[in-house]
Amino acid sequence: MVIVKRKTLTLAERLYLPEILRGMSITFGKMFKPKITRQYPEEPLPTNEVTRGQPRLRALVDGNLACVSCGLCEAACPAYAITIDGQETDRFIEREPEKFEIDMLRCILCGFCEEACPKEAIFMSTELELAGFTRASFKYGIDKLKRSTEELAPRMEYIKRINQRW
Amino acid sequence: MVDLLFYVAALVAVLTAVGVVLARNPVISVVSLLTCFGSLAVIYLLAGFQFLAAIQILVYGGAIMVLFLFVVMLLNLGGLSPEDEDGDDPLFHDRRRSAGGLAVAVALGSASLIGILRGARHLAEPANGYALPDEGFDALPALAEAMFTRYSLPFEAASVLLLATTVGVMVLAKRQRAVTPAGEKRP
Amino acid sequence: MNPFLIILIKTSVIYGGLIGAAALMTLAERKFSAWMQLRHGPNRVGPWGLLQPLADGIKFIFKEELCPDGANPWIFRLAPILSAVPAMLTVAVIPFAGNVTLFGVDFGNLSITDLDIGVLFLVAIGGLSVYGVILGGWASNSKYSLLGGLRASAQMISYELSLILIILCVVAMTGSLDLRAITEAQNTGNPLSWNVFSQPLAFLIFVIATFAETNRHPFDFAECEPELVAGFHTEYSSMKFALFFLGEYCAMIVMACLTATLFLGGYSVPFWEDAPWFIQLGTFFAKAGFFAFLFIWVRWTLPRFRFDQLMHLGWKVFLPLALANLLVTGAVISLA
Repeated sequence: MVIVKRKTLTLAERLYLPEILRGMSITFGKMFKPKITRQYPEEPLPTNEVTRGQPRLRALVDGNLACVSCGLCEAACPAYAITIDGQETDRFIEREPEKFEIDMLRCILCGFCEEACPKEAIFMSTELELAGFTRASFKYGIDKLKRSTEELAPRMEYIKRINQRW
Repeated sequence: MVDLLFYVAALVAVLTAVGVVLARNPVISVVSLLTCFGSLAVIYLLAGFQFLAAIQILVYGGAIMVLFLFVVMLLNLGGLSPEDEDGDDPLFHDRRRSAGGLAVAVALGSASLIGILRGARHLAEPANGYALPDEGFDALPALAEAMFTRYSLPFEAASVLLLATTVGVMVLAKRQRAVTPAGEKRP
Repeated sequence: MNPFLIILIKTSVIYGGLIGAAALMTLAERKFSAWMQLRHGPNRVGPWGLLQPLADGIKFIFKEELCPDGANPWIFRLAPILSAVPAMLTVAVIPFAGNVTLFGVDFGNLSITDLDIGVLFLVAIGGLSVYGVILGGWASNSKYSLLGGLRASAQMISYELSLILIILCVVAMTGSLDLRAITEAQNTGNPLSWNVFSQPLAFLIFVIATFAETNRHPFDFAECEPELVAGFHTEYSSMKFALFFLGEYCAMIVMACLTATLFLGGYSVPFWEDAPWFIQLGTFFAKAGFFAFLFIWVRWTLPRFRFDQLMHLGWKVFLPLALANLLVTGAVISLA
């Protein structure tokens, strides 16, 4: 059995009012303290290479995708968000995606695709915002997914670094 | 203008008073009684009795009708359903009781009618009519003095009567609930 | 100038001011609550969020009107009106300032009317707003609404007693039910003649009772979100809901004005007996604004009372204290 000892209140405490005034002075003081809310669209969230935002495809210096449409990311994706149609190409890598589509409404930003990719072709970017008016507009094709190597370089370095630990 | 307001208020008062009796839903009755009191207050105001009008709204509108509403809600009286009128309704069940109630209603009605007729004779005299008295509120000290000296006994008696009525209502409501078998839902 | 026209102008100015003030009060509520919680509050619509009430109003108008199944539609529609109208009517007897002369036109005293029975009118009409709560709660055909309505009305009529007794103390001191006479009696140029200094206990009880009377924190049993969803207006939507809020905020503003009038000398300026009307008006706004701020300030500081604590406070503490206060006041007045 637990015996809860109640504190006997002093007269001032039982009168409520001094305690109420004390509480009100605290809230009044708080009104002039600096605010901690972030004004989001003007002050975006800080991101760095650890941020796991939406997946993006890396383009090589010549503008072509690094992707060879091996389909590993498609297989790794737990949400079945990725659809790849491959095609042949005259370039050295011989295969490239004809269609690479990520349904951003299905994507759960887990990063498995990035982990599965053998060609450093897909990375989780720092882009977080996602909005649109139709469901179709959330099916991102190559045109929307392509990012230059420089843009994804910090993430690439980071992934390389943590992969070296294994 | 004043006459028109009087007739509108009087019409509303009569119509809502009829509504109090005829409404199936007790809450509607209470709301129409409230409207009735409101229009009575308007009539008092037109007759120059500002204080009486304010008191009418304050006491009857603000306090007593709220208590009525409370009682109606807490007793959870539903509206009368059509089958109740076929004789199942306790009010109309007992012929003797209904007759007694009718007799009391007729007596009260004729008494008030006599009062109205007698008052109407005075109304015909060219008193100050509906006009507001110039001094406005100065009648209040006289009213207070009369109430607390000359008429203090009737005043107190009225309050005792009200108390007795309250207790009687409680007793009646309690007995009705005790008769109902436990677990059975009253309609 | 036509006296009818003057009354029309005064009425529209004061009611426009009241509704504008109620709208601003909703914004102030959100702003101050935000600041006390280290947030910014609404700041997107207009400069510093000043147009937020307008945006809220437009949103309310475009919301769907709902009437729950099994509810009594007429009483359901009547309740918000009964809640808002009495609260707005009561501002008619508040004296905002002395004689106003503007553009060479004498507008008379700045109040819609100086009723001889101003205090009684205010209490009587203000007491009617309980119907909005209780009928709204009943007509919604919802257990939360009914409980909220019953609780709130029990609370309002309990505290109305103490409130009226306290007002009687002030009335007894002035010997008039006219709010302007009460103000003028305190307008001696000396702040010490304000009723707050001669009736400190009455002032305290009055301020606390106004919180209960307007269903504000820490006595907001009409809403009481953790227990009753939203209390009597659970089932209300759209402008009907907005009317309830308009009524609540108008009642708060009127109560703030009444507190300033009864205890802080209304529009009387300290050490300046016959100040021009705009100075008086500014003084009145400052005093009433403080009490309006107090409503918000207390709401965002204190937790809610328990219902039995509320009733205990109302019947066993405030009522005897108010009665004793009235007794002492009467004794002192009759002896002096």
